[in-house]
Amino acid sequence: MQKTGFTTTVPVEVILAAGRTPLDLNNAFITSADPSGMVDRAEAEGLPRTTCGWIKGLYLAAREAGLSEVVAVTQGDCSNTHALMELWQTEGVLTVPFAYPYDRDADLLRLQIRKLMDALGTTEEATDNALQRLKPIRDGLRRLDELTWREGKVSGGENHLWLVSSSDFNGDPDRFETELGGFITEAERREPNGDADTVRLGFIGVPPIFGDLYETLESAGASVVFNETQRQFSMPYDTADIYGQYARYTYPYDVFGRIADIKEQAALRRLDGIIHYCQSFCFRAIEDLIIRRAVGLPILTLEGDRPGPVDARSRIRLEGFVEMLKGRK
Amino acid sequence: MPCGMDLGSRVVKIIDYREGEIHCMIGYDTAQFYRDFGRMDGTELAVSFEKLGLSPELTRLTVTGYGRNTVRVQGIRRITELKAHMIGAMHQSGLTDFTLLDIGGQDTKVIKVTGGQMDDFVMNDKCAASSGRYVENMARVLGLGLEDVAEYIRNPAPLSATCAIFGESEIIQKLTEGIPVEEIAAGVNLTIVRRVLPMLTRFDKGPIVFSGGVAKNRAVAALLKLHTGRDIIPLAEPTFNGALGCAISSML
Repeated sequence: MQKTGFTTTVPVEVILAAGRTPLDLNNAFITSADPSGMVDRAEAEGLPRTTCGWIKGLYLAAREAGLSEVVAVTQGDCSNTHALMELWQTEGVLTVPFAYPYDRDADLLRLQIRKLMDALGTTEEATDNALQRLKPIRDGLRRLDELTWREGKVSGGENHLWLVSSSDFNGDPDRFETELGGFITEAERREPNGDADTVRLGFIGVPPIFGDLYETLESAGASVVFNETQRQFSMPYDTADIYGQYARYTYPYDVFGRIADIKEQAALRRLDGIIHYCQSFCFRAIEDLIIRRAVGLPILTLEGDRPGPVDARSRIRLEGFVEMLKGRK
Repeated sequence: MPCGMDLGSRVVKIIDYREGEIHCMIGYDTAQFYRDFGRMDGTELAVSFEKLGLSPELTRLTVTGYGRNTVRVQGIRRITELKAHMIGAMHQSGLTDFTLLDIGGQDTKVIKVTGGQMDDFVMNDKCAASSGRYVENMARVLGLGLEDVAEYIRNPAPLSATCAIFGESEIIQKLTEGIPVEEIAAGVNLTIVRRVLPMLTRFDKGPIVFSGGVAKNRAVAALLKLHTGRDIIPLAEPTFNGALGCAISSML
């Protein structure tokens, strides 16, 4: 089956309906054998050092996967994607633009999803079938999330990996469903983690570029019980159709929708504090200020640039934050 | 005997604290410290207490700093820099409600302390801009000692780069323009203050307790007072504040 790559979460149902294999280039990059080397090689080809590490990784991930077609999100993610898709075009990759309307306009979103169907050669009916096919998997991911925050049986790192993988279901929803079912059955038998002293953290912002962030936090005595964006990738809402599903999704729209979600989940999951991850050189670092003004919980802003383990300076900040929150409990 | 050790990025500080007093304090250049007192433990570097002349059995040791995981002694306590500096600052200033500003070798920390508890904190972004390393490098380019740089406050030359590396070329540029060394040094001091002001505005009430190596720079302290309008509380031992916090913590 032909693989279709994408630069951030898009209506994956359309790609599946078109008989293609979806590939989230972020996942392909960060789970590759040498993500740090990919950033080095992208820089050696001329991408600026002062540009997002994800963009550099995405650039080479598409090449290494041998993709001839990429859906590029031109609104709702970052403007670096515009230049990235043009770069791919010079290398013969077909790029299909997809734009989430900033104001969540239902008509414009419908038009965008329909245009994507046309570009990939599929129909609304086939897309709806894919939506129904994915529903039990999405229900399973909701159960997994509940096992994390309500029952303490799934770690923050496991939660992150499963939810972040739901942008493309690792290219194979059937296999993903089987593995997820097995994982949930195993996790349900576990003893709950943590106690009253464990610091309950939320992780917000784009998924981390650090490989061992969750282990670092756990060894400091904290549990991540909310992964904001990863949970959004799993489309955790009951909606009538594909248009409603991607209108409810918070990540590509204004920050205020995200803040409402963060506040609701922070109260539900009894968070003690929040880690806001910002990629170096990202516009979302400006949103940090808005989030701080609105959320009303201690927030640590954590910056990451290149893939690899948590560096010493970030570790000091993370451990200090957990220590401070322990002192408040 | 309670002992505190702050394994910082530039200097390793050790305090031996007995009967409520500092019995002895020693500072080592960090690189030199690991060369002289480090040993390989498997594949990892560890601090050799025998070489240091400290008996681990007799020492109630608390460590902090970047190198805190290289000290592997039974019964050791490890605390974060934030906690170490807060405890040290409370002990040295006698205050329980203040904003602590610590400018060290490569990190700047601002901690809000309320009722003797850490209420919130902010640290510089991940580069050594406007840290102790910046002042050291600029002083070297200017051919001045750190004490000399601390003398200058008037007519600061405008400097745009706060980076510990890129700042050098800017200073060389200023020198070639014929700007007096004194004014460039004043510019270096003002640059430090401009960089930390946004961090201080998050906690904008009460006195500022100033610690870390840069706190010895009187010009920076004076400029901080000028630009914040807040009381700047100096400490008797600003450089050893973290090690002292560890030593006090060893007694708790």
